[in-house]
Amino acid sequence: MTGASRGGRGSAAGRRAGRTAGRALQYLALAGYLVFLGFPLVWLASTALKTSREMARLDPTWIPLEPTLANFAAAFGEQDLVGAAQRSLVVALASAVLVVLIALPAAYALARFRSRLNRVALGWVLVSQVFPFILIIIPVFMILRTMGLVNTLAGLVVVHVTFCLPFVLWMLQGYVRGVPPVLEEAAAVDGAGRWRTVVSVVAPLLAPGVVAALMFGFISSWNEFLFALILLKDPQVQTLPLALVRFTGPEGVVRLGPLAAASLLATIPSLVFFTFIQGRLKGGMVSGAVKG
Amino acid sequence: MSSTTAPPRAEPPPPAAPRGPGRRPRAGRPDRSVLGLMLPALVPVVLFSVAPLVYGVYLAFTDARSGRNVDVAFVGPRNFADLLSDGDFWASFQIGLVWAVSVTVLQLAAGMGLALLLNQDLRLRWLARTLAMVPWAMPPVIVGLMWRLVYHPDAGILNATLRDIGLVSGDIDWLNDFSVALPAIIVVGVWTGMPQTTIVLLAGLQGVPRELREAAEVDGAGAWRRFRSVTLPQLRPVITTITSLNFVWNMNEFALVWVLTQGGPGGRTRLPMLYAYEEAFRYGFFGYAAAMGVAIVAVVLTVLAVYLRRQLKEMR
Amino acid sequence: MRRRILPLTAAALTGALALSACGTGADDGPVTLRFLSLAWQTESVEANERLVAEWNEANPDIRVEYVQGSWDNVNDQLMTGFEAGDPPDVIHNDSPALAGFAARGYLADLTGMIPEELKEDIRPEAWETATFGDQIVGVPFLQESQVFIANRELLEEADVRIPTPEDPWTWDEFAEASEELTDDDTYAVAWPLGNPVNRVLNLSLSYGGTFFEVDGEGRATARMGEPERAVLERIHDQIHTDRTADPGTVGMSGSDPLPAFFAEEYAMVQVGVYARQQVEEQAPEDFDWVTIPTPVGDTAEQGAASQTLSVAADSAHPEEAAEFISFFLNAENQVDLALGDWLLPTSQQAAAAPELNTEEDDWNVATASAQNLVVAPYLRVQGFDEWKNRVAQPALEEYFSGEIDIDELSERLETEGNDVLSRYH
Repeated sequence: MTGASRGGRGSAAGRRAGRTAGRALQYLALAGYLVFLGFPLVWLASTALKTSREMARLDPTWIPLEPTLANFAAAFGEQDLVGAAQRSLVVALASAVLVVLIALPAAYALARFRSRLNRVALGWVLVSQVFPFILIIIPVFMILRTMGLVNTLAGLVVVHVTFCLPFVLWMLQGYVRGVPPVLEEAAAVDGAGRWRTVVSVVAPLLAPGVVAALMFGFISSWNEFLFALILLKDPQVQTLPLALVRFTGPEGVVRLGPLAAASLLATIPSLVFFTFIQGRLKGGMVSGAVKG
Repeated sequence: MSSTTAPPRAEPPPPAAPRGPGRRPRAGRPDRSVLGLMLPALVPVVLFSVAPLVYGVYLAFTDARSGRNVDVAFVGPRNFADLLSDGDFWASFQIGLVWAVSVTVLQLAAGMGLALLLNQDLRLRWLARTLAMVPWAMPPVIVGLMWRLVYHPDAGILNATLRDIGLVSGDIDWLNDFSVALPAIIVVGVWTGMPQTTIVLLAGLQGVPRELREAAEVDGAGAWRRFRSVTLPQLRPVITTITSLNFVWNMNEFALVWVLTQGGPGGRTRLPMLYAYEEAFRYGFFGYAAAMGVAIVAVVLTVLAVYLRRQLKEMR
Repeated sequence: MRRRILPLTAAALTGALALSACGTGADDGPVTLRFLSLAWQTESVEANERLVAEWNEANPDIRVEYVQGSWDNVNDQLMTGFEAGDPPDVIHNDSPALAGFAARGYLADLTGMIPEELKEDIRPEAWETATFGDQIVGVPFLQESQVFIANRELLEEADVRIPTPEDPWTWDEFAEASEELTDDDTYAVAWPLGNPVNRVLNLSLSYGGTFFEVDGEGRATARMGEPERAVLERIHDQIHTDRTADPGTVGMSGSDPLPAFFAEEYAMVQVGVYARQQVEEQAPEDFDWVTIPTPVGDTAEQGAASQTLSVAADSAHPEEAAEFISFFLNAENQVDLALGDWLLPTSQQAAAAPELNTEEDDWNVATASAQNLVVAPYLRVQGFDEWKNRVAQPALEEYFSGEIDIDELSERLETEGNDVLSRYH
């Protein structure tokens, strides 16, 4: 659309020429976006492969002059990155699955029944997005401690589930609304029970929404830092974002090399996850929320 | 619902029943079953979200501060009165608004452009789609550190590149210069938030009926006119939703800017959330910090209400 | 529904608070201590872990669990831990943070828990950095002094005398030498002033600048007299009048100017002693560098803080924790810790160790500078942290970048500063 056919409305040839020019412009714009989105990551990779001597050169180059894996060795050697990544994966998967399991029935209820709860719930969704987590972190900590959940991965899962629940709920109820109730009624006519109806008719139609919600839950949990910092104290339970900031000294001095190496490694799993899932998404992600 | 053998739903509707009402959410007496369905979601929300929040709001009316065996007294609206005369807070609030509005607007513009491109039948679209997700796949802590590498005055790639193409001669200290620091972090904010915006808009675009655009094309409308008169109105609800959410998220941004600048230089990038965080976790004035939080929420909700109301009106 | 939520909330909270108030009692069997360490350099992480392993080997009844923390967020993490009554037992931190935590009663008083031998061995000036009122709230072990690292070749070319700990520069000599060292391509000095407050305050002691007056009841007021202005103005002159210091480094922090220093854009760079490690690691192979002591004014004194180990007041086993600290910080171990972080030990025996007095990597210059370290006066100031972040940091940044003059700076440090400090009275 970017000014594609502005050139010629006169002749077919003129229009085709305009099209080609437009196409070229489109590719140019796309390339621009790719550079903007991709270059910091390339730079991160480049930094991870440089020696600290090279990093201290005034004229930095994209391609390391003497590439080294020393930073990766340091990152792995000093931090239990593999263990931390495994724990992050467990927490993120558990949070994603749980939040969808909890949110799905509620989303169904919100979308299908009119009740006073709807307004309260949807109002809450909005308010919960506005409220700064900083103000609730201490009471949350105290409640979790009462339940014996501090210093456990379960505690972190509980927190992550709670805090991505509102948004997931909102997304899913949008998707449920997108499934015509007629379908359910048709199934009901066939004599199927309520639950069977939901499972056999509604669920498959919701699949894209569920995938999107899972993804949202996974990423939110994978990226979350502050609660993890405060809840997980023992090295045996620490997750990836915590392991990453460990290359920092006083006054903000950092060991760039190992940090870049570790950061790069931490980004790969979610990238793979995305590449894997992006085909399934189609319009995905928040479209449910938007329709609702 | 109440009876397992013959659930009311299983009864065939009267053949003559109009289809219409079925489309609406059912009324009936659903409260109990609704509650049953919502209970699993309600429990964690109440316990870990509502309860702490109520506690946080309560703190805003006290002189709570950190310390062992500190007596906490109820002080009424005093914190809010103090807040009104706290110049630093309002300065940071202003920075917060500049940040949130610029990032939201730029995210929308950049996201819209990218979404339109991705909606075209271009080659390499899969690559663009995956790359467009990258910023979202990275923890904000890493994003911040990565951009610090990019912005580094001597060893950063940005200055090196700008020097090579002759745009600047000296080195710009992006994150420490009084006038460029805020724009520099706004760029990072846009970078981080673009994926979500793009994907939402893309979803919206795919929902725009093709026939509408084709009809407009047949009428001889140019691309820009087609966009303005067909696509944009159709996207309106989507745009409203995502800008509201982006605005709220950006207003609450913390980790990213914390890693990038810690609010410096000279407080020029101290977003309100950083200010409240310092107040609570550095200086230990919990009550006052809570009051700041409440004030921020009040303003954000007001802005949002005004915006949403206007949008709704225009949509009608 | 709304109405029902509230009492439930209240109940949940009271339950939470009530339960959090009572600790767990039974502690038969081996004791476990959590040790939050902030070591971040490869060698010092290794030294820390090795010492913990050694201790656990020798003391099966008092197990120490090594928890790796980070300077970046340690105080937030501690604040939450303290508030919720669940802090680590042994805490690695630095003395500016201790002041605040001590005032809030979070730290155990270690007086009487430290063996005489260790007490004698650590320099009294260092003990002062961790003593608040009559309480010892931490054992100081590593200190940082301010130095310059210079490009020896450039100094020799310009025929500038290379100062030594015995015969340091005065600030005037330093200014003259800087004139000599500046030419079209090279500035004499890089002052990285991105986080200037502590450093400038520490250096100002050479003219007796203390910046604060503390009255009998511990209430502090900020004060800007001639002694306070001396070093500030000298640095400012180098940047804006003599033009011997690069204005471009003013926003940088820590070791940021090193790349340009290696490229000979500056002859000297002002850093903490620990930066020798980065220079050693990053400088081109043939780069010849030398550590030179900070110039002297009326005295050679500089203010210093310390890294410390403390015990949480809420720890169930303060005695055991103190025992562990005493082992961890004995003279022999302090040598390893100092080497690992390229900092100065507080132990006098450790400071005499041959490893810390070799000419290699200028350890002799570094260790000698410890003699001039006295307790930084700001450590006694309640609310210093907020004064620093809210007032001094931005005001100094504006001063050094030339936006305001010394009078306006003084005005702000005092007026705005005292507004902040009054919150803590």
